[in-house]
Amino acid sequence: MREGHGFMIQQIVKRDGRKAPFEIEKIAAAIFSAAQASGGQDYEMARGLAEQVEKVLEAAAGDQIPTVEQIQDTVEKVLIESGHARTAKKYILYRNERTRVREMNTKLMKVYEDLTFQSSLENDVKRENANIDGDTAMGTMLKYGSEGAKQFYEMFILDPAHAKAHREGDIHIHDLDFLTLTTTCCQIDLLKLFQGGFSTGHGFLREPNDIRSYAALACIAIQSNQNDQHGGQSVPNFDYSMAPGIRKTFRKLFRSNLAKALEVFGADENNEVDAQALTERVEQETGKWACLAGDNGYDEAMAKALGEKLDEQAVQKCLRFARKYADKETRKSAYQAMEALVHNLNTMHSRAGAQIPFSSLNYGTDTSPEGRLVIEQLLLATEAGLGNGETPIFPIHIFKVKEGVNYNEGEPNYDLFKLACRVSAKRMFPNFSFLDAPFNKQYYKPGHPETECAYMGCRTRVIGNHYDPTREIVNGRGNLSFTSINLPRIAIRSHGDIDWFFEDLDRKIDLVIDQLLARFRIQSAKKVRNYPFLMGEGVWIDSEKLGPDDTVGEVLKHGTLTLGFIGLAETLKALIGKHHGESDEAQNLGLEIVGHMRERMDQASEKYGLNFSLIATPAEGLSGRFVKIDREKYGRIEGVTDRDYYTNSFHIPVYYPISAFDKIAREAPYHELTNGGHISYIELDGDPTQNLEAFEAVVRAMKEAGIGYGAINHPIDRDPVCGYTGIIGETCPRCGRHEGEGVPLSKLQKLGLYKHLNSMTLGYHGDPAEEADRLPNTLQVVKE
Amino acid sequence: MENKEMQEQLIGEGVGFERIRRITGYLVGTLDRFNNAKRAEEHDRVKHTVSCCSMEEEHTA
Repeated sequence: MREGHGFMIQQIVKRDGRKAPFEIEKIAAAIFSAAQASGGQDYEMARGLAEQVEKVLEAAAGDQIPTVEQIQDTVEKVLIESGHARTAKKYILYRNERTRVREMNTKLMKVYEDLTFQSSLENDVKRENANIDGDTAMGTMLKYGSEGAKQFYEMFILDPAHAKAHREGDIHIHDLDFLTLTTTCCQIDLLKLFQGGFSTGHGFLREPNDIRSYAALACIAIQSNQNDQHGGQSVPNFDYSMAPGIRKTFRKLFRSNLAKALEVFGADENNEVDAQALTERVEQETGKWACLAGDNGYDEAMAKALGEKLDEQAVQKCLRFARKYADKETRKSAYQAMEALVHNLNTMHSRAGAQIPFSSLNYGTDTSPEGRLVIEQLLLATEAGLGNGETPIFPIHIFKVKEGVNYNEGEPNYDLFKLACRVSAKRMFPNFSFLDAPFNKQYYKPGHPETECAYMGCRTRVIGNHYDPTREIVNGRGNLSFTSINLPRIAIRSHGDIDWFFEDLDRKIDLVIDQLLARFRIQSAKKVRNYPFLMGEGVWIDSEKLGPDDTVGEVLKHGTLTLGFIGLAETLKALIGKHHGESDEAQNLGLEIVGHMRERMDQASEKYGLNFSLIATPAEGLSGRFVKIDREKYGRIEGVTDRDYYTNSFHIPVYYPISAFDKIAREAPYHELTNGGHISYIELDGDPTQNLEAFEAVVRAMKEAGIGYGAINHPIDRDPVCGYTGIIGETCPRCGRHEGEGVPLSKLQKLGLYKHLNSMTLGYHGDPAEEADRLPNTLQVVKE
Repeated sequence: MENKEMQEQLIGEGVGFERIRRITGYLVGTLDRFNNAKRAEEHDRVKHTVSCCSMEEEHTA
């Protein structure tokens, strides 16, 4: 077998380097299909051209075996030189398209290779979302799916204009991997869901009957819904939702303790049956249940009924006993239920085990004794932490601050607001939402918890309803999808021309509206059966009116289509040299820019009859992506592309020194404009539990400034060896060790920290100091 | 064996500190899972002063 020598081509080199026999028929077929695409039908001519190609190759090849690329170059050359311009054009197009597909496949395989063989320490893709452990089997599986889906959509589903804008970093389509599958998030009304029980798709659950099952089912509902959507799950009315569980628990415990009392004080041997009969009778007569507050006439009616058999003294003793222990045990049950809920939400799996559900609980305004008990015990369980005293990562707690309810001394839930501040100073949760901010207050109707604005996860807000103004409520609604604009890039490209900036911003907004609508059309075509829980169980608003094969488009219209943005600070830097923390001029321009985006969303709502909204993008996976592309394109620009991230939405840059109160005042006006969601953070130094006054002052400043949703960040460090929780610098303040260093056993023993002498497993060894602080709290009774 | 017993036993070698931080809205128990941009952002943060009632660093005894 001779190769080359300018005579005969027998082999070619494929792209992967392997050799294959040269087949002239393949070249002829490729030329023929390009010719067909431009109207040609003559195969013989294609065959003739292929022979010409072979001749040119033989002349040029020398000793070399030609590569596929060389052959294709030669085909192009021969086609053009022989006057087949249109066929040549088609051939080039076809070749480019094949190249793009091949490159994407190669890129995808490279991504898979890295996912497979690199740890998350080396691989940034695995750390895109901090709450997915990319090192686990299921975490990696989830990434395979996600990366593959993204490429598929880019190649075959997305409008090429949208795909290009996304690929090049003009816009970012969030949760692209779920483009054709589902919607973002939902605010679950547990009260409605629990009525009559529900099914998870794997079994039916009866309506719960005490607080522990209420709390357990709350977790299951969050978990089930999480599997139907790609975003987080929020309970907008957690206190109101759990209160009936407390009511049922108290009723049961009052009856069982009455039975005990009957035996002790009434010498009743048939006590359980009698207590049951008495309870049924008094409940029927009064139409009431025994209740936590003891103020509904039930106790008096029971006293009368008991008086038929017992003397006055025994009656009073029985009632005191029943009330005392029902009260005590209800509190204990409530604490255990909330403790279990926090534990569950930090350990239960969703999405093939790769994540725990992204859960948010809103509460703070239910002033009933039962609702208050739920709030109090949830806060105390959160304060105590997980099994080893660790800070719970989930759920996100949102304490709803409302004047007249919990904001000022003397208001019914003021004590719970104080407690919320104390717990947040230790655990970073709760965050605080402000129902008196004008843009939240406009929806608020006293006595209608569904009109109390709620927040989801890190900031999403869904309450206004342009599509159906009679349903301006939080329950059963959520975001459908959102897409963010790379604001700093527009600013860089404007070279300081503000008019051009706004023109280009408008072009990008048009593109995003178009893309959100395209995605909405895909979402709308889905059926109820695609979302067995979200739609099948009637969690989403009005979905209970649909059958399994109905499409969900109509009910989805209650959701929001949302535009986001990132890097207002860098945008202003690029436009006028200063950001909005530094200058009033920049602040005014910032408000103008964000105000314009909001206006465009309102116009789109008007035009399409849907709910378009503007969100201050949380930038979970985006914070580094845009700036990386922009630095490659436009170089290192001071204050704009010189850091590894663009600043979160409208935030004052994290590196900029500013007082808490100035930061609040500067960011507050943006909350009003970003109706799709917002949050402001304050970073506190030191241990805020030592200065609750300052902590509360910051929360109050947020409220007074018209912030919608805010949170306070402070470092929470923990040494797993000695159990110290607080701020740890180089060394642990308690046991004195450096990170990774061992501590002498004798030292731990001296500190009273190491009890299990024969245990070789490391970990938490008890924290007597902290535990001593905690115990009295757990059953603390808040004055009512 | 004897030598080993004479030596002081050390507890916690190779065990790091946990540092809980909030990034883009979620709490995360370890900086290891932050992507590169988030690490950079966390690193750059400065504290916001509360001038009305100063936050003094408390040292636990």
